[in-house]
Amino acid sequence: MYPLSEEQIDFICRDIQARGVEMESLQQDLLDHVCCIIEQNLEANGNFEEFYFQTIRRFYKNELKEIEEETLFLLTHKNYYAMKKIMLTSGAFSTIVLSAGILFKFMHWPGAGVLIVAGIVLFSLLFLPLLFTLKVREKQEIRDKFILTAGVISAILFSLSTLFKLQHWPGANIMGVSAIGIMILLFLPVYFFTGIRNAETKVNSIVTSILIIAAAGLLMSLVRSPGNSTFINQLDTAYFLRNEQLLQTEQKQLQTLLETRKNAMEIPAKTAQINLLCQELKSYILLKQTGHQTLPADYETKQILLTDNWSRDHFTEGTEGAEKLQELRGLVETYNAENSKTAGFQPVPVKATILDQSEERTLSMLQHLTQIQLQVMQNEQNVLARN
Amino acid sequence: MIYSSELIKGTLKTIILKLLADNKRMYGYEITQKVKELTSEKIQITEGALYPTLHALEDAGLVTTEAEYIGKRVRKYYKLSKSGQTKAKEKVSELADFMETMKFLLDLKPQQI
Repeated sequence: MYPLSEEQIDFICRDIQARGVEMESLQQDLLDHVCCIIEQNLEANGNFEEFYFQTIRRFYKNELKEIEEETLFLLTHKNYYAMKKIMLTSGAFSTIVLSAGILFKFMHWPGAGVLIVAGIVLFSLLFLPLLFTLKVREKQEIRDKFILTAGVISAILFSLSTLFKLQHWPGANIMGVSAIGIMILLFLPVYFFTGIRNAETKVNSIVTSILIIAAAGLLMSLVRSPGNSTFINQLDTAYFLRNEQLLQTEQKQLQTLLETRKNAMEIPAKTAQINLLCQELKSYILLKQTGHQTLPADYETKQILLTDNWSRDHFTEGTEGAEKLQELRGLVETYNAENSKTAGFQPVPVKATILDQSEERTLSMLQHLTQIQLQVMQNEQNVLARN
Repeated sequence: MIYSSELIKGTLKTIILKLLADNKRMYGYEITQKVKELTSEKIQITEGALYPTLHALEDAGLVTTEAEYIGKRVRKYYKLSKSGQTKAKEKVSELADFMETMKFLLDLKPQQI
């Protein structure tokens, strides 16, 4: 039995490290193992160094590092299968959830929104990144790694942009355009020119490239150009302002008529209240949409324009908008009931309007608030004409 | 006769799990010596195969380690975890079954169908 000194143990430890074994626990294993062999097999007066190098040589084929490489391979290999499983499960699960969400949406069943959002989030933030991590290991060439990276980034951006669009979050358009940009300008050229060089993949590469360009083209043809969007917003804003102008002029004329009559009349309290609430709701929508309660005269130069997007998010339960709208609905319903006997009275419709939250787009909401104001005013004119 | 490393490779996990099931805790060198002794040196486990497998078993939660200082160096004892004990039984019976099948397949036991 050979007694190992501390210096000799240090020597072996340093040698194992120098041979490229970096995992501490593996270093400890190997150190103890070599020491055991030496202690058991070397005679007390034997040559330590010579025996050590002979022993350690038996541990490997080419170099000692192999043991660590094999260990790491086994450790990651296990993860590889787990990741592959998660990837496949999350992929299948996200597409099923997304499809169910779309079905629910078409059937008007509750929960459609949650399903769609969960489906897209799982798909873009779990499935696609896992797919990337697993596939990138299989690719040897830098070019192949690049194609994969560009493709996956583009896919993630594209699916997130759809999610953002659905949720009315800002940045959806930028993401969508970047996704298509990366796909057409980065992914496609590298993919195409790599593919056509190889006789085996030539036809496939050409066909896939054509499909990608066609799909991107179809998608882009659905998108309104930014210039055209501004133009349409200008038209919409001018349309809204014209209606406001008409309403205000009519209201002023009615006021004058009422005041200058022989027996002066006043606008009933309920009518005035409805009118005021409608005006407040319009200001609320304008504030949420443009940041201004009323549109300034130089709205066009300042680019303060109405956009015909969804305003329903400002009317979800608990918001100021929802409370005001509820109040208006109550007022309108009592107003209709109180005046139903009056000859020539036109009730203000509630069903399938902004009042029961059927109308959800900015312009139609604004429009209908103006219409309510016009209707109650016409009812006053009717009373006036009959007296 | 010393068996080829291909043959050992597929059964190494089972060998280690079984040894740890029979002995409370063992360190690496001890495992190699024990196998050598039990098989009259017919099976010799190499360090290059033993440690990667031990680490993979540890990572899978089948074995746990206990470190002890032997003078200046650390000796790591490996022992089976709860799930390792179940796994050891599974692996042993799987291998036993496999050997029966191999006997039949290689025509060493033609009487059985």
